[in-house]
Amino acid sequence: MLLGLSLAHAEDMDASGRLAAERVAIGTCANCHGPQGHSYSPKFPVLAGQQATYLIAQLQEFKAQSRGDADALGYMWGMAAPLDDGEIAGLADYYSRQTPRAGLVGDAALIARGKDIYQNGDGAHGIPPCGACHGPAAAGTPGSEGAAGFPRLAGQHVQYLMKQLRSFQNNMRNVAVMHGVAAGLPVGDMQAVANYLQSLGP
Amino acid sequence: MTQNASSVVRQVSHVKRMRNLWIFQIIFSFVVATPVAHAVPSFARQTGMACEACHTVFPELTHFGRMFKANGYTLNNLKQVRDIDAAKQELLTLSSLPPISAMIQISDSWLKSPLPDGTGAPARSQTSTAGFPQQLSIFYAGKVAPHVGAMIQLTYANDSGTIGIDNTDVRFSNSMLLPHESSLIYGISLNNNPTVSDLWNTTPAWGFPYAASNATVSPLAATQIDGALAQDVAGLTAYAMWNESLYGEVGAYRSAKQGVLNPITGAAGPLDGTASNVIDGAAPYGRVAYEYQWRGHDIEVGLYGATFKLFPGGGTTSAPAALSGPVNEFRDLAEDIQYQYIADQHLLSVAATRIHESMRLDASLAAGTVSHANDDLTTTRVTGTYYFRRKFGASISHFSTTGSADTGMYPGGPAPGVITSANGSPDTKGWIVEANYLPWLNTKISLQYTTYTQFNGGSGNYDGFGRDASANGSTYLLFWLAF
Repeated sequence: MLLGLSLAHAEDMDASGRLAAERVAIGTCANCHGPQGHSYSPKFPVLAGQQATYLIAQLQEFKAQSRGDADALGYMWGMAAPLDDGEIAGLADYYSRQTPRAGLVGDAALIARGKDIYQNGDGAHGIPPCGACHGPAAAGTPGSEGAAGFPRLAGQHVQYLMKQLRSFQNNMRNVAVMHGVAAGLPVGDMQAVANYLQSLGP
Repeated sequence: MTQNASSVVRQVSHVKRMRNLWIFQIIFSFVVATPVAHAVPSFARQTGMACEACHTVFPELTHFGRMFKANGYTLNNLKQVRDIDAAKQELLTLSSLPPISAMIQISDSWLKSPLPDGTGAPARSQTSTAGFPQQLSIFYAGKVAPHVGAMIQLTYANDSGTIGIDNTDVRFSNSMLLPHESSLIYGISLNNNPTVSDLWNTTPAWGFPYAASNATVSPLAATQIDGALAQDVAGLTAYAMWNESLYGEVGAYRSAKQGVLNPITGAAGPLDGTASNVIDGAAPYGRVAYEYQWRGHDIEVGLYGATFKLFPGGGTTSAPAALSGPVNEFRDLAEDIQYQYIADQHLLSVAATRIHESMRLDASLAAGTVSHANDDLTTTRVTGTYYFRRKFGASISHFSTTGSADTGMYPGGPAPGVITSANGSPDTKGWIVEANYLPWLNTKISLQYTTYTQFNGGSGNYDGFGRDASANGSTYLLFWLAF
């Protein structure tokens, strides 16, 4: 419901709202997340082209202090605390409008293995295909009323993806679906998938 | 004529008497200037972010920490007391709780070889000195008004035995968006120490060592910008940073003496010839730097400098040394470079600076306290630091100050030496090795070892009284809490 309201707000966003969000994005968020959401440091996630619904949900969780992974506590609980629903929607709108791009391309064999896991899953470890939810190009889905959205993963930093998968695995970041997927995922498979995702362009 | 001549003689003899004081002032200013850099938990309270957002390990700043400072310490997540006018302009935003924090340093220092006993007897000093506290500071650090923030530090130190003003930086800042989504942060800083307004950990006010013993022997020579005027000046600087990468700052510093009185009125001024090292007019300061980031790496290169024209002053009420006429001019120009790699497990940083100082000492030459009209000094520091998970870390640093010999400025006496130079050379070189353990992000336990290969111009018998440079080496154990 809250999400729906924020979405409506984003659609109706006027020029001044957009400018205000841009100011916060460029003046504050960019300190870590880089210009137009292309972060320099693999510690901080790429936000360019991320699904607005996902960004809204995460910012709301940071604000509510319900997302519990280490960097959420250290950085984002504080950053998100003063944001209201309109500002959150504005920031999500800003970053979702930025053009995503591919990250570094690493070891080809690792990427090929990651692609296989992403597209077909790993039956031996009970891992479903990632693409089933995150989309064939890992662009994520915005979701709709009654259907959950999923975040874009294409072009994301390996280091960040690895940390999130571990956070899902040990429930520091408490997301039941991803805990189920990551719980049995060997580290080698995580690295393969993360390297594949980082190499993907828009 | 006779009266004038006798007055001159009196002044000259006074100048000779004052020479030790002048040396003392150099040493004192260096001791006071021993880098005392700090982390401020007030900022964590204000922003709701952990120390690691702004610091690799305190007090070294991350890129985000630099931007927080450039933005005037105003990023704020605390509940605010607010007022607006009819046009919705903000008249007041004040944190409901004041951003106060404290810092304590408790230390023990061991000098490698004891000093001659001050009584002149053949006895020797103790080698170990406990500092409890070596330093205790109270900070106001945070937002003051919508675009104004401050970092104000009051410090009690065991050497002075008093509470005094420490590094202070009050700033106004604003930012604007430029075409192509680039940003411009701009502002002004009112501060009391050249380079305290700077954003990188290469410059003197915030450079390594972040803490040092105040119970060891300091070399005679240091450049003016290297802390000699810290907390003794009032500066106004204007700065701008484009796209979080290109930084420029210009400003000027005037003398703002602490604890100095006009001998006639007993008031805080005007300053007269009893005050020492008073800036003639205002001293210009400038800084340019460029920072580039890629995949967790961050590199900065820059230049900074200032020109100080100082009246040596330092007379007594009966024989003042006028704050007019010739001055000593110090032209300081420095290069710096900083590299940081910041990840969750491994953090690596390298910081280096070289300060070159050209001196034209007309005033001191006229007063007979130096041997040459022109001298120079070059100070170089290169420091590498590694931390594992922000818990265990080590630093190694090489420092060197070299320059022209001047038996007036770096004299060979009086006995018992130690802070003298047998050959009039300022050359001092050595190493600092430091190991750190941080059980928590705001608690640091350090063991620091300093060794000199050269001290005041020599390695063996540098002071002319039989002391070797290595004798001034020291071990320093520090317990540092910021809360």
